[in-house]
Amino acid sequence: MKKTGAKIFKEVNVVDCGSQTDRKISMEEKAPTIPKRRQELLKWNGWGYKDSKFIVNKDEHVEFTGDRYKLSGHVMPSLREWMIKTIGISLDHRVQSQPELTAADIPAPIKNEAFLHDLRNARISHSDDSQDRLFRAHGHTLHEVFILREGRFSRIPDLVVWPTSHDEVIKVVELACKHNTVIIPFGGGTSVSNAIECPKHETRMITSLDTSQMNKILWIDEKNMTAHCEAGIIGQDLERRLDEKGFCTGHEPDSMEFSSLGGWVATRASGMKKNVYGNIEDLIIHLKMVTPRGVIEKSCQVPRMSSGPDIHHFMLGSEGTLGVVTEVTLKIRPVPTCKKYGSIVFPNFEQGVDCLREIAKQRCAPASIRLMDNEQFQFGHALKPDTSTLFSSFVDGIKKLYITKIKGFDLTKIAVATLLFEGTSDEVASQEKRVYEIAANFGGLPGGEENGERGYMLTFVIAYIRDLGFEYYVVAESFETSVPWDRVLDLCRNVKDRLHRECKDRGIQFPSFATCRVTQTYDSGACVYFYFAFNYRGLTNPVKVYEEIEASARDEILANGGSISHHHGEKRTKLVEHLSFWTSLYIDSHTLHGRR
Amino acid sequence: MESQSRNVWIKEGDPSKLGALYKDGYEDILEERRHTSDFRWCTRSRNVQFYQYRHPRNPKQIKDSVLSSDRVQYAIEQVIQESGTTPEETENQVHSILDEMAHNLNLSSVRCLAYVLTKIIKRLYRRIYVNEEGIDTVRTLIKEYPVLLMPSHRSYTDFLVMSYLFYHYDLPLPVIAAAMDFMGMKFVGTLLRNCGAFFIRRSFGSDKLYWAVFTEYVQTQMCNGDAPVEFYVEGTRSRTSKSLSPKIGMLKASLEPYFKAHCPDIMVIPITVSYDRILEENLYTYELLGVPKPKESTSGLLKARSILSEDFGNIHICLAPPISIRTFSEGKINRHIHSLSPRYIASLTKDEEVLLKDLAFVVILTQQKHAVISPWALIASVLMQKTNGVQFEELVKDVEWLKRQASNCGAYVDWPGNESPEHVIRTRLLFHSNKLTISDEDLVELKQISPPSHVDNKTSKDTIISTAAMHVMTSLYRNQLLHVFVRIAMVTIPVNSCLQETLSINSLFEQYTFLETILSREFIFQPGKTREDFNKVLVLLQHAGGLVIDEERNIKIKQSVNKYTTFMSIMFKPFLLGYWVVCQYLLSLAGGNLDARPLARKAKQMRIETQQLILGLLSEGIIKHYEILSLDLIGNALDSLVDMGVISREKRIQDIYFVPQCAKVSRIAAKIESMTEVPATHITDFSTFIIRTVTAKL
Repeated sequence: MKKTGAKIFKEVNVVDCGSQTDRKISMEEKAPTIPKRRQELLKWNGWGYKDSKFIVNKDEHVEFTGDRYKLSGHVMPSLREWMIKTIGISLDHRVQSQPELTAADIPAPIKNEAFLHDLRNARISHSDDSQDRLFRAHGHTLHEVFILREGRFSRIPDLVVWPTSHDEVIKVVELACKHNTVIIPFGGGTSVSNAIECPKHETRMITSLDTSQMNKILWIDEKNMTAHCEAGIIGQDLERRLDEKGFCTGHEPDSMEFSSLGGWVATRASGMKKNVYGNIEDLIIHLKMVTPRGVIEKSCQVPRMSSGPDIHHFMLGSEGTLGVVTEVTLKIRPVPTCKKYGSIVFPNFEQGVDCLREIAKQRCAPASIRLMDNEQFQFGHALKPDTSTLFSSFVDGIKKLYITKIKGFDLTKIAVATLLFEGTSDEVASQEKRVYEIAANFGGLPGGEENGERGYMLTFVIAYIRDLGFEYYVVAESFETSVPWDRVLDLCRNVKDRLHRECKDRGIQFPSFATCRVTQTYDSGACVYFYFAFNYRGLTNPVKVYEEIEASARDEILANGGSISHHHGEKRTKLVEHLSFWTSLYIDSHTLHGRR
Repeated sequence: MESQSRNVWIKEGDPSKLGALYKDGYEDILEERRHTSDFRWCTRSRNVQFYQYRHPRNPKQIKDSVLSSDRVQYAIEQVIQESGTTPEETENQVHSILDEMAHNLNLSSVRCLAYVLTKIIKRLYRRIYVNEEGIDTVRTLIKEYPVLLMPSHRSYTDFLVMSYLFYHYDLPLPVIAAAMDFMGMKFVGTLLRNCGAFFIRRSFGSDKLYWAVFTEYVQTQMCNGDAPVEFYVEGTRSRTSKSLSPKIGMLKASLEPYFKAHCPDIMVIPITVSYDRILEENLYTYELLGVPKPKESTSGLLKARSILSEDFGNIHICLAPPISIRTFSEGKINRHIHSLSPRYIASLTKDEEVLLKDLAFVVILTQQKHAVISPWALIASVLMQKTNGVQFEELVKDVEWLKRQASNCGAYVDWPGNESPEHVIRTRLLFHSNKLTISDEDLVELKQISPPSHVDNKTSKDTIISTAAMHVMTSLYRNQLLHVFVRIAMVTIPVNSCLQETLSINSLFEQYTFLETILSREFIFQPGKTREDFNKVLVLLQHAGGLVIDEERNIKIKQSVNKYTTFMSIMFKPFLLGYWVVCQYLLSLAGGNLDARPLARKAKQMRIETQQLILGLLSEGIIKHYEILSLDLIGNALDSLVDMGVISREKRIQDIYFVPQCAKVSRIAAKIESMTEVPATHITDFSTFIIRTVTAKL
């Protein structure tokens, strides 16, 4: 650790890493998949890559373009009908995004010349190009994307800097303190908590600190099974590069193609396979965070310690309000030899939830287990591509007959659990056996691997589908919650009902779409994930209406014993309230231990 | 050239020739039954739509789910720990509670009953009118949310016609919380159970098992939407036709699932069942005068079959717009408070209880608002003020006038527009000929009524009792109108009794508040709405009742005393007088000495002694309002004085004794005296009266 010269910098828990050279694998540097100029590869006003999007082709069928994903280049013949029936879209009523914003449409940067001067002297890469700034002005909430498509940002970052190391971050933060400018850390830009939105009335210069160039895996420690990485590395690069050495972190949030390691820490992220690998807080061994008061880190890399409240838990979920996460030591695991999808069909959602609860109780959940409600099952079904053996469906042919006629399942009531098993092939086989046995007690029938895989594909492409919705007056968003088992069913039903009802009360003319899935299981509860969409044709202020409806849905969640969020994170204003509350507790604590 | 006139489109131009199947949003559901086969109607297939999230269950499965529920299991454990009973004993206790409680709703019984019932109903009633809009709303709602039906309760018939109605419209048949009175009836108890009645003890205090079973039994049916749940928020049949103060126990149990987020919402539907003539009018009359009602029994029921030959006119059922508990509680409570403990353990919060009490009042006021007022209620109101009889012509004039006033206050009067007022009134008089006579000179007078069979000869021959019976029975119908005018009267009474030239609004409000407080057991006032009600009434009186307010916000008394204000004041005078007599009785307990500690009495004893006193006063001709003899009025007065802290309650070993605070009583009496005329008799005279009447009885 280098000491910095700035007065305000005081290092907390200065670390000397010592001479741990043993069995450390160092990794060569590679350019990140997402380039510095994100606009060259990514959409400016929507989700993901420019080459991949849902379109309505000349035959008026929905098609997914490009060749990046398994679904790419395929037509989904039933999707159009599903959209017409479920959300009431009409192909004749289309609304296109405004043309790409030019420099003239974007607020001129506020410049702090002294800061810029020092930054240049420090030779840290930066830019005030309007596109660079615009790309870092937003996350992916409905509100933000809608501004991109229809409106203007009143405040965006004035500058983008790309530090390439921990030390450069220290330098940038130090300069910002010195010159009284603002820093907003930026990782993968997939935030859904408004954490990277600029405060409207901030008159100081705002710098977006883009960590994407800090993408190195600094070392891998095979003996302790840890990897030390820079925080700007994005999920897909991290897994791909660890995979080259036979390892993985197993942390797979749905946004992993774009989101960064530092972002996961800052939002308290959760990955799909947390049952095996844990959530981000379980994966982290060590963190470095640069704050305006100095660098915060622990002085050792140990599996657990007791020396007061865990400082990591202050950084986790701080949404960039306390500092910049620069380096992370993560647990790693050998890449499993066997990976297998699976699915279970339940006669109804209630029995599915009971089954998941039993699986959680017996602690035999596979790497991932998710239970989709009927609406989501139908949705997934509508995504079935035209010609692909990969995506054949169990409700076709004989199996459909078996399920409906012999087993008496009602296709408008069934719920489907998707499974992902990981481990050695023996482990997977025995896990499978146990899970399907439990499922049988709850009326569940195995539904085949393809359905499982399609379920997971759905969460990958759903963000793209939202952009297609926008084209047809549909606004859509997801939100999630964490809830005790005894409340899961009531919460799912009540929240969906509330969404539909709020739509009706607000004069929305078309059927609204609300669906949920139990997406994670724990001993004492589950994470429930909602998708919600409605057709706003006839409304003048869809985003406001959406936000009101979402707010009431969140009220409903709280009333049903759920939490404000499981992994998306909390809005920044609320978060700051929490943090100041904790600080005030500390200040008051002399009551408990006396003044020293 | 009639064919060119637009009149060709009109099938029937003479309104008097139109049938009465439809009128003003109401539809008669009996008409069809008079033309088609009852048998086919009872056996037809019903296409019933249920609550969207319902899992179909039979009554047995409902009982099983109650037994295995967390709540009941938890209560069993507690009871075992606390009382040391064995698990088997405790489980058996639960079983017997549940067997005593549970309904056994099944369609075949309902069909049987429907067959018999339709025969009986057709004989008793001319038409059963139902507001179609209400039915349409319920039809949609029942699919979307659990539904709570809250009808007014004036007669045993309520229970039957409600189920009949739901059967008629192919709606899911309700399950009904009933008091235990019926359960003992041979055969009838079982029959009612099979038709959806479930039986709740009137009080079960701190019996944990009973609480748990009762709560779970109601809530599981609420949440699953097995059937609409029906209960009477008034708790019992109102013998006086006035609404009773709400009981909120059952309301709490049924709405708790919403607060604990077991269901997305619950729709409360206030329902008013209005009768042209109440089946139990005779029984009620004598019960109010202190002749105990015969115990419900099957043989009693069979004895009562003579009423089958009588005509009870029409029934109007109005299903009011539903009240969503979600909307009602929005912004007033925080449901997430219940997320910190298991939902079967914790009870409702203070805020929620306050809210539900409020809701209960809203429900009753809504029932009142949708009451259908029969012309007879107007006639009765006029007759009650003219106990010496009235000329038909004058009666018509007065009734017409009163009808306009009632309409101005928002009441719905069932007045056929296609008939002349004379015709309307004469037919209603004939219809109620058991209560009145019309002489050859067209003088309309109340007449003695024939007492029900269980009243002994001595009582029925007593002239005071029989005169009182005549008045009380008529008052049952006058009472249907009182809720419309009570707030107005509470303004006109102070105005009419004011001795100054002007009365300030503030002091008027003070007197209004006093009246509301003292009458709060007699009439329904929403707590916390006094000022709002008062302001509304002032406006209404200025617009329709000739109340004159000058620039300084003072009432000008001279201009404001008129026919309207006088009529309203007189209408409510018997109540004030009755309350005054109660005060005199209480004062007499201390022998007229305000500082002395008066004798304590049990509540029941106080009621009877007061009634004795009134009997004496009536026989001496000191007071002339016979309806004051009503035990209901006396009881309400005593309860209200308890509420006001004027009577304190003392628990002695087992019984509650009432002890009046004489100084306070005398202040109340003085206030009443300042508002209405009272006999010029001194308190000490009352003491002697009581002694006299008591000895006389001995």
